[in-house]
Amino acid sequence: MGTVPEAPFNHLHALWFQLTGTLCNLACSHCFISCSPTNHSLKFVAPETVYRYLDEAETHGVREVYFTGGEPFLHKQIIPILERSLQVAATSVLTNGTLITPTVADQLAALAAESLYSLEMRVSLDDVDEKKNDAVRGKGSLRRALQALQLLQERGLLPIVAVTEYFYEGQTAVPQQPGGGSGFYKRFRDFLLENGVEKPRLKVIPVFAMGKLHSSEAGGAFVTPDMMRGFDVTTLQCTKSRIVAEDGVYACPLLVGEPKARLSEGSLADALQPCSLYHTACHTCYLTGMTCANY
Amino acid sequence: MSYRRIAVFGGVYSNYLALAATLQDARRREVDALFCLGDLGGFGPYPDRVYPLLRNAGVQVMRGNYDISLAEGLTDCGCGYTDPRDNYYAALSYEYTFQNTSEENRRWLRTLPDMLRVQLGSYRLHMCHGSPRQVNEFMWESTTPDGFLGKLCQDYEAEVLLFTHTGIKWHRSLPGDLHAVNVGVIGRPENDGETHVWYALLTAEPALEVVFVPVQYDYEALAIDMQEEGLPEAFVETIRSGWWTSCLEVLPGKERAGGRW
Repeated sequence: MGTVPEAPFNHLHALWFQLTGTLCNLACSHCFISCSPTNHSLKFVAPETVYRYLDEAETHGVREVYFTGGEPFLHKQIIPILERSLQVAATSVLTNGTLITPTVADQLAALAAESLYSLEMRVSLDDVDEKKNDAVRGKGSLRRALQALQLLQERGLLPIVAVTEYFYEGQTAVPQQPGGGSGFYKRFRDFLLENGVEKPRLKVIPVFAMGKLHSSEAGGAFVTPDMMRGFDVTTLQCTKSRIVAEDGVYACPLLVGEPKARLSEGSLADALQPCSLYHTACHTCYLTGMTCANY
Repeated sequence: MSYRRIAVFGGVYSNYLALAATLQDARRREVDALFCLGDLGGFGPYPDRVYPLLRNAGVQVMRGNYDISLAEGLTDCGCGYTDPRDNYYAALSYEYTFQNTSEENRRWLRTLPDMLRVQLGSYRLHMCHGSPRQVNEFMWESTTPDGFLGKLCQDYEAEVLLFTHTGIKWHRSLPGDLHAVNVGVIGRPENDGETHVWYALLTAEPALEVVFVPVQYDYEALAIDMQEEGLPEAFVETIRSGWWTSCLEVLPGKERAGGRW
């Protein structure tokens, strides 16, 4: 085995926060970092820590801020955190939608209306079929996510629906392109339109062979030095984003909590350096052009 | 050389009728120079028709992602879409434009710069297509923060940044008399239900004045051309209705909320 290739760091386009660590009110069977109601391996990030990194990110010209988890709406300070974040840059929250009540939706709509920058809610789904979706995400999760989509839509916030390509028929390996299979994209689009989501926005994510799918058939390969020749490295999100967790700054949202991907225990500046493409997840990003960002 | 008043436009998208109307309007306003920030082709009919108009009017043209793709013979337009439906339409459009752009015009594209530096009164202008750092980076108003713009002005040593690529115009003043101007596009309407297109007029008076100018043109004639050339009906609908029907998934929430689809 040759040396492990590195990705250069170009600029800070997006800063992520692993806001609620690995704590989630759901326990999806494909979760790439095995989040659940009992997983406390990564802890919540304190508001003061978020604000400190936001200030530092602003000096580096950050364009977008993302909050993920776990389930970010388990964080009691989520609304003031989003308010502060929107003063710095466009802000997105990756959520399962189940905690978006009418009151929370009202607060989000108010924040969005007051801000010059976009506030995006990205709600995860896995299938348009209730049984299939809930088999992955837990009983009642499709209905609750749909309710969140409708609450946001009614208030003029246009949610993005994030779909993991998990149930694509006949799929036994990582798809070469997200949404590459016939019918997958259209099925979700039609489903959202039928359920009153007038401007369906879809984000298709390939399945990663890690976390709860660590031993699945998908993936298992690594990026080699040969593969880097002639490759447009700027397609890799680790050239332009970083994620803050409670114990430091990591190379990318997929590798949060992985000791080898932790680039700094303190300042953001220390983490804005080349990172190793050592993981099988790097191979999936390499193949699919996958980005955790909205676009 | 320093100018006092200039016209800047982007995204011609083969809309030769809107281009002719824009040039006529700008001349009437006594501009010292005209600038085009790229993407001459795509979307519209008869791509070769815009080239003589630009050259004869002495427009200073730089390349956008579409022009680079055509010049280099790349397999796609490099617009930066991530959605299958958007990419489907983008591929149709690129194939048509590629096949209908002459070798001579593609050679000319190879001679164009990828950025322009201009002095307007006391202001240093940096003109680019997407962003100064990446030709197909989308600078939407709602995802382009002040901190980022301030850093770009510093990194690229300019008081005014001018760019296009997204298709929706905006102007923001920053502390220190810095400015960011998305000049919009003249190739298709800007997703507001109106059929006209927009360009930007910049004047150093000596303080900078930025005015967006609406341009009416014979959009019905363009729609008929597009139909005769077999271009997608979704594109024709945009020209007639002023609402975007494709390339929607790259829009941030705020911009998407402003459109019909």
